[in-house]
Amino acid sequence: MAETATREFVHNLRTVPQTLRDSCFRLGKSPESEREESQATFHNLFLHIHSVRVHLRTLSPTLTFGLGLMATASFVITIITGVLLMVYYKPSTDLAYQSIKDIHFTVSTGRFIRNIHRWAAQLMVLVVLLHMARVFFTASYKKPREFNWLVGLGLLVITLALSFTGYLLPWDQLAYWAITIGSNIANSPRELTDAIGVTQWMDPGGFQKKLLLGASYVGQDALIRFYVLHVFVLPLALVTLLGVHFWRIRKDGGLARPEEAPGGLAEWGGERRPVFQPLATKTYGLMALVKGKRPPVNRGPENTVMAWPHLFWAELSVFMVTVATCLILSFYFDAPLKEMANPAIPENPAKAPWYFLGLQEMVSYSAFAGGILIPMIVVVGLALIPFLDRKAGGEGTWFGTTGEKPVFWQSLVFATVTVVGLLAFTVNFGWLRNWIPKIHQLWIIAINPGTLLVAVFAGWSLLVLKRRNSVRLAAVSLFTCFLVGFAILTYFATVHRGPNWQFYWWPSQWPVH
Amino acid sequence: MSRLDPPRVSRRSFLSLASIGSFLAALGTAAAGILRLPNPAVLPGPLRRFKLGVPEQFSVGSENAFPDANLVLFRDDDGFYAISSTCTHLGCTVARSNEGFACPCHGSRFDSRGNVVGGPAPRGLPWLEVSRTADGSLVINADNEVPAGTRYKV
Amino acid sequence: MYRWALLLASLLTIAFLVGAAVRENYLGQWRSVQMQYRDILREKATDDRGRELLARYRVELKQVSLPALGTVDRCVTCHNGIDDPRMADEPLPHRTHPKDILRTHPVDRFGCTICHHGQGPATNFEDAKAEDVFWDYPLLPPEMTQATCATCHDADKLPADQIPLLRAGTKLYQQKSCGGCHKLGGRGGVLGPALDNEGAKTKHQLTMVNLKPPHTTWAWMQAHFRDPAGIVAASQMRNPTLTQHEALALTVFMLSQWKRDVPESYLAPDKVEQKYAALHRQPLTGEQVYEQYCKTCHGNGTYTRWDKTFKRFVPAIRGASLLAAEDRACLIENIQFGRPGTQMPTWDLRAGGLLPEEIAAVADYLRAGVPQLKLAAVPALPGDIERGRSLYLRNCAGCHGHQGRAGIAPEIGNPVFQQSATDEFIVHTIRFGRQNTPMPAFQRPDAPALSDQDLSDLLVFIRTWRPKGAPAVAHANPGSTRGMP
Repeated sequence: MAETATREFVHNLRTVPQTLRDSCFRLGKSPESEREESQATFHNLFLHIHSVRVHLRTLSPTLTFGLGLMATASFVITIITGVLLMVYYKPSTDLAYQSIKDIHFTVSTGRFIRNIHRWAAQLMVLVVLLHMARVFFTASYKKPREFNWLVGLGLLVITLALSFTGYLLPWDQLAYWAITIGSNIANSPRELTDAIGVTQWMDPGGFQKKLLLGASYVGQDALIRFYVLHVFVLPLALVTLLGVHFWRIRKDGGLARPEEAPGGLAEWGGERRPVFQPLATKTYGLMALVKGKRPPVNRGPENTVMAWPHLFWAELSVFMVTVATCLILSFYFDAPLKEMANPAIPENPAKAPWYFLGLQEMVSYSAFAGGILIPMIVVVGLALIPFLDRKAGGEGTWFGTTGEKPVFWQSLVFATVTVVGLLAFTVNFGWLRNWIPKIHQLWIIAINPGTLLVAVFAGWSLLVLKRRNSVRLAAVSLFTCFLVGFAILTYFATVHRGPNWQFYWWPSQWPVH
Repeated sequence: MSRLDPPRVSRRSFLSLASIGSFLAALGTAAAGILRLPNPAVLPGPLRRFKLGVPEQFSVGSENAFPDANLVLFRDDDGFYAISSTCTHLGCTVARSNEGFACPCHGSRFDSRGNVVGGPAPRGLPWLEVSRTADGSLVINADNEVPAGTRYKV
Repeated sequence: MYRWALLLASLLTIAFLVGAAVRENYLGQWRSVQMQYRDILREKATDDRGRELLARYRVELKQVSLPALGTVDRCVTCHNGIDDPRMADEPLPHRTHPKDILRTHPVDRFGCTICHHGQGPATNFEDAKAEDVFWDYPLLPPEMTQATCATCHDADKLPADQIPLLRAGTKLYQQKSCGGCHKLGGRGGVLGPALDNEGAKTKHQLTMVNLKPPHTTWAWMQAHFRDPAGIVAASQMRNPTLTQHEALALTVFMLSQWKRDVPESYLAPDKVEQKYAALHRQPLTGEQVYEQYCKTCHGNGTYTRWDKTFKRFVPAIRGASLLAAEDRACLIENIQFGRPGTQMPTWDLRAGGLLPEEIAAVADYLRAGVPQLKLAAVPALPGDIERGRSLYLRNCAGCHGHQGRAGIAPEIGNPVFQQSATDEFIVHTIRFGRQNTPMPAFQRPDAPALSDQDLSDLLVFIRTWRPKGAPAVAHANPGSTRGMP
């Protein structure tokens, strides 16, 4: 009675460590059977969005390069470091710059955390672009994955918006003038409405700019709006869409992969593999030690393996590789910070963040074309891809359809030549207004390097469409042209544009002002 | 191999253990750094050290109120001491009274040594650290309390 | 394979985390400086006070935060000994602050950067010096720190031994007559930019192309003073011919020109008086005005100078023959309204900033003692404009210019000249010329080059340049705005 109860009580007190652990981890040990492995995935709050089994092929690093994971990992890193920065950052024009200086000089780990935040953010933008390219070139947008492609586009836009809103927060010269440019790009519909004379009644440009800045200038109101967007609204939107993105992967049957070869494993490295594979060591075969073949042990139907542990090794390692990359970059390279924002001293050249520099180059010819028209065309074009290329086949492999690789290389060369040629032309000869000073602005909006490139690329891909008789190949050519154009224009505007947006061969040649 | 040999830790699971272990170690190291961040390395805001002049300016038996610094500086035969004018009840500034100090907000009363003699104050008025700077002037550090009765001798 | 990647990445992560922690906590410059200082304190802990200071010393980041000034100065993290008189012989950064400055400017109230500039929030010297860093105001060299006294003080009232360079620079600015081309405090010429906020300029606002690094504003100023056109291509500024020391003094003076917004509680009383006095200033004497505003172009004024930059003759305004012919009112009018379109600025109060008393005073200074001649009447002969034109072209246009303007000699076609000069004055000058200038006498008694008829013709032609609608010349009082362009 009382004695037993006391003993019971003491026994329970002493076994608290085990009972505590068992209550947290229901299995209480590493999973040992496939059933336990599936439970480890299925019964876990954080892990159960994964399927219990994954296709072996999708674990191959050369299929996806872990880009989607890397993007998610860098997002997680920015969230963690971002929250930490929020402890010290003050979103007031008087205090923001000083708070960043404090973070750099005095806050424990402040300098390192700020650097990580900046590099993770840059990495995220780069990686989502690469991820989009990967998904395209492995044709992983085809039915039933069209919707997920659209969700991904939404994620791309939100990522760019996150980076852009974060850019203003340090309130230094870099931030202030980049956002001045950005807000004037938002104002660029004015170019069109002015040209046709309707600005008085319809001014979407002015409206957009006012919405963005909360004022007619970049000031305290803009800072607060960007801050709210950056730390709350956009992350919330991103997380929501990310949830949808992952959910759709499940619903669409996992990552895209090539169809299985009948009666055997899928193509691996271009060769069909038999069901039984040669084994490195010897095995028993009919009572004698011979060099034999290995039966497909531990591989489920459709060539799948357990998510636990294989998928999670992959995810964890990609996450840590991303972390390590960010840390190494942050150790050696400080996040930039120029002098405090000074409306009286414009930066020259005043450049947008790198992912918008290609657009800024276009904007230098026509604000509306570069700022609104081309981005809209690009976004709509990208969105339409899965709805125009509906023929099944070729998913899950790089350049899966016949003829993709040659078309890819040809388009690469074509786009390079066209873009470089056009840039060389404009650098040497200028554009319409240089030759015909009084020309109406509408002409310039209609005919400028940006629209010209769009037309030329579209023409090229129509050519491919006709000649190769394949929508997919036409899509490959157009997408490749777009990628190449983006890359070259970004590079060009970064390296070769100096003060007053003049052409220079190298930054070292920029005139010392 | 016989059953009596210790089970070999195969390369596969050693690798698993090592990689998970190093992952957790990395997480732990990161957590350590992260947890240090919210602790301010240097307290912001204006200094709460008040330089009040050289000791010779204050005669023995004198008391001088410094409203900007929210304290009263006393000097007696044993030395200097400074009593904070912030009431220990809810933070109002006390006024000088015949018996010592009186708080206008909720009626706390203190004697001239800062001890509570009436009202809701839970403890006496804090005595603040008095010291001297290198160039000889008295400095009160309002962030540091000293036990009541501590004198600073010059 | 993934596990190898995980292992490697995790190890790298740990390595760099630890590396960053070590770098921040153990390798910071400030920490070793503070440990050094503690050793010094230990050495000097020979009496009660020394021991007390040693006991209280903590190794930690230190700062002076002054929201009123908008500064957070962490210089005191390394400069621990600035208010300890025992540290006078220690090397920097431990040394006591020189002179007695901290007695009147305690660090707790002023911080450091209000006087020394530099990047206050920094915790290492390179970043604090901020010479090659993105910071608007790098650390001032020690000898130039006196420039910032003018932020809160009236520099003229400070003792000269505290601010020797600033005082010298202020005097030099007047002696070299910089005001002839530059405005300061609303007074001065217009050929150069106004210098009122010169000290607030950052290096981005100056042309650094021709300057060898370091690209600081004071290096630019010193180099610019020694060789204006070498620093600013196509500069019209005449070389003020300064020694190295004089250039330094002028630079300090320029740096002190900064209308900085400092809370009133920080201003010295004489500064407030100075601001008030600027609204009601005492007039300068004629000699002072001449020295500060006229000398740079007119030299000592008794003979004509040839100006290399503008390629014209600068009139001899203190020449006896001019002053004998020109009356006081005319002189005042010419100074007041200048010669629009030429390098002679309008010195009127609303433009050049000189008070009416000052203009009158300098006119008297110019005249000093030269007796006024009574000019002869003009020849009473009707003049022929066409004849006058050909005479003018032959005899005068070479120097005075085609329309009486833009030549190398004074503009007789200039509206101000036309409205201030009398006919008698014009004829007198043509007849007798001007001594010590290139203007010859065209009707010398012994060898007259022009007849009276010629003179009438010339006069009538010259008067065709008078602005339409302008009344006949009758000299107005100084300060009048009558009929001026």
